[in-house]
Amino acid sequence: MDVKKTQTKAFSNLIASIVLIAFEVWAWVQSGKIKTAKNAAVQPSAFPRIMLVGMAVFTAVLLIQSIIKLASMKAGDPLAEKAESLNLFKDKGVLAALFVIALCCVYVWFFKSAGYVVVSFLLSGIIMWLIGLRKPVPLLLISSLVPLGMWLVFYKFLTVNIPMGWLQFLRDLVDKI
Amino acid sequence: MDWNLLFSSYANVFLDPTVLLMTLLGAVGGVLLGAIPGMTATMGVALLIPFSFGMDLIPSVGLLLGIYCGGMYGGSISAILIHAPGTPSAAATLLDGYPMAQKGEAGRALSVAMFASFCGGVIGALIMTFLSPLVAKVAMKFTSAEMLMLAVFGLSVIISISGKSIAKGLISAFFGMLLCTIGLDPTYSKQRFTFGVTSLKGGLSFIPVLIGLFAVAEVIAGVERIIAGRESAQAKSTEKITRVLPDGKTIKQIWANIVSGGIIGTFIGAIPGAGGDIAVFVSYAFNKGTSKHPEKWGTGIPNGVAATESANNGCSGGAMIPLLSLGVPGDSVTAILLGAFIMKGIQPGPMMYVSELPTVYKVFAALMLANLAMLIVGCAGVRIFAKIVSLEKRMLYPIILVVSLLGAFSINKNVFDVGVCVAFGVIGWLMNKYEFPLSPILLALILGPMCEQNFVRFMDLNKGDFSQIVHYPIAVGFFVVAVGVVIFSLLNQRKINKREAEALAKAGGENISFAQE
Repeated sequence: MDVKKTQTKAFSNLIASIVLIAFEVWAWVQSGKIKTAKNAAVQPSAFPRIMLVGMAVFTAVLLIQSIIKLASMKAGDPLAEKAESLNLFKDKGVLAALFVIALCCVYVWFFKSAGYVVVSFLLSGIIMWLIGLRKPVPLLLISSLVPLGMWLVFYKFLTVNIPMGWLQFLRDLVDKI
Repeated sequence: MDWNLLFSSYANVFLDPTVLLMTLLGAVGGVLLGAIPGMTATMGVALLIPFSFGMDLIPSVGLLLGIYCGGMYGGSISAILIHAPGTPSAAATLLDGYPMAQKGEAGRALSVAMFASFCGGVIGALIMTFLSPLVAKVAMKFTSAEMLMLAVFGLSVIISISGKSIAKGLISAFFGMLLCTIGLDPTYSKQRFTFGVTSLKGGLSFIPVLIGLFAVAEVIAGVERIIAGRESAQAKSTEKITRVLPDGKTIKQIWANIVSGGIIGTFIGAIPGAGGDIAVFVSYAFNKGTSKHPEKWGTGIPNGVAATESANNGCSGGAMIPLLSLGVPGDSVTAILLGAFIMKGIQPGPMMYVSELPTVYKVFAALMLANLAMLIVGCAGVRIFAKIVSLEKRMLYPIILVVSLLGAFSINKNVFDVGVCVAFGVIGWLMNKYEFPLSPILLALILGPMCEQNFVRFMDLNKGDFSQIVHYPIAVGFFVVAVGVVIFSLLNQRKINKREAEALAKAGGENISFAQE
């Protein structure tokens, strides 16, 4: 099979090291904003900076390894294999993964106001439908009973108070029982 | 040692129906709690301690130790089945446990985990019975210098769990250590990387990060694979479990891993502040390093599960050593147990071995019984637990997601943690995609705070002169061993990479060619 060099794992490593270097520079600048402590043998910013230097050293190793590999790549090399794509226009899987991430963000946003059971019902129901469970009965049953059951276990037996939002009346009902 | 007293104490505990019942109930509760992502053995013990108030000391200790041992094993169930370690100390179990489940050997992985947990627990209990005063004496010599070098030693195993690229493994580890510095600095309380977010002042919670990196990332990747057609949505395990305990051949294959794991777990567990979460990685790295086929580790072999699970439960005995002999709890669970002892009017410490020797022996026996109860509960549950993976993936993934997110919330009852969990799910998904190993982050998150606190304390005590470390022989010993581990792991990894490259070339790597750009 034909693999372009820009599609190889070596190239994805090169991109990853550039992204990491950008992150390290940003984090280094941020670490400069940490307030200093008086008479301290080790300043509060020292440990994060040591870690950043360590990270930068091995990012540089990865960068150099990638450049050398790209320059002298041979067939059969593990780094010559095709890397995973992040192109949402060419890969439906990536698009679906990003959609799940977006759903999770919405889930977090509404977790408190709508309540765990409602947001979990919607999240699990939509994902089940997305990945091929189209029969309404099992879809509705699983996506409603699992969150409800989990809430009951956590609330009643583990005494963890979980937001119920729109279904607050259920808690009152369980409390009465 | 008073053998007559020892045997009569064991007989008293093993023949007391109340103790038997309480220990069994504790083990059931522990296994179930441990299997829920986010619920740790510590939380289980804390939740159920009020039930022990009205009981005599030994039944209540049996109940709490049952939860402790059950919780230690329970954590491996979700790690093996759904890639979400129920407890931090089950984090290394998924390295081989989950690939085993993916290969259709979930039941076998569970039975190996259970058997290794039992054996590790028994090894811990035996060492505790016979060597506790001696081990405690060594463990209590640990100052900030020794703790710092213990953390460095723990970090030295990162290469062993880095996978194909050591550079990527070390980047992950340093990233994990950097994450530990988010929040208030532990010595001077200065804000670091909080960006004005109040919830970040306390730092990132370990459990939501753990659940995000493994469980949420796996769900995102699973949906991606299904939609891209690389995995069937109807895929499910069809493994038939014919036995609940490993067969003779498997036991022969894993016994050495179990013994070494149990011993490593006990000794690390005996050091206050170091627990199962560190021991499992050290045991994994040790056993992988001494294996004839290190390249098979991480691909789903029972040895990996046995090495980690025996270390995990070995810690339960180890953590009891400083508790009973010095009155210093080895971990958070034994800290709660210390409270239980004090409530019953017993003060653990050196005098306990003089004035309360029968009680000490009964506690040893209760720990042994707790491990036995865990084995019974585990045997009864293997078939039921393994049913989880017989669910179709299109049902399983959404269930894992909502259960995991609830686990993330339940730790601090904070929605912010759910957000952290999702964010680390995305990070984990990306890291998996581009082959950055996740386990080094985990190890760094466990050891990072210990490393920083002891480094700062040591430097403060020695006026910023790090060279003073040479005056601490145990610390120097740890450092030498750490350097040895790094060199050994590097050589081992070279061997693994060579073997894998040969295997790839044989498997058809020659078919790959490059298009000119």
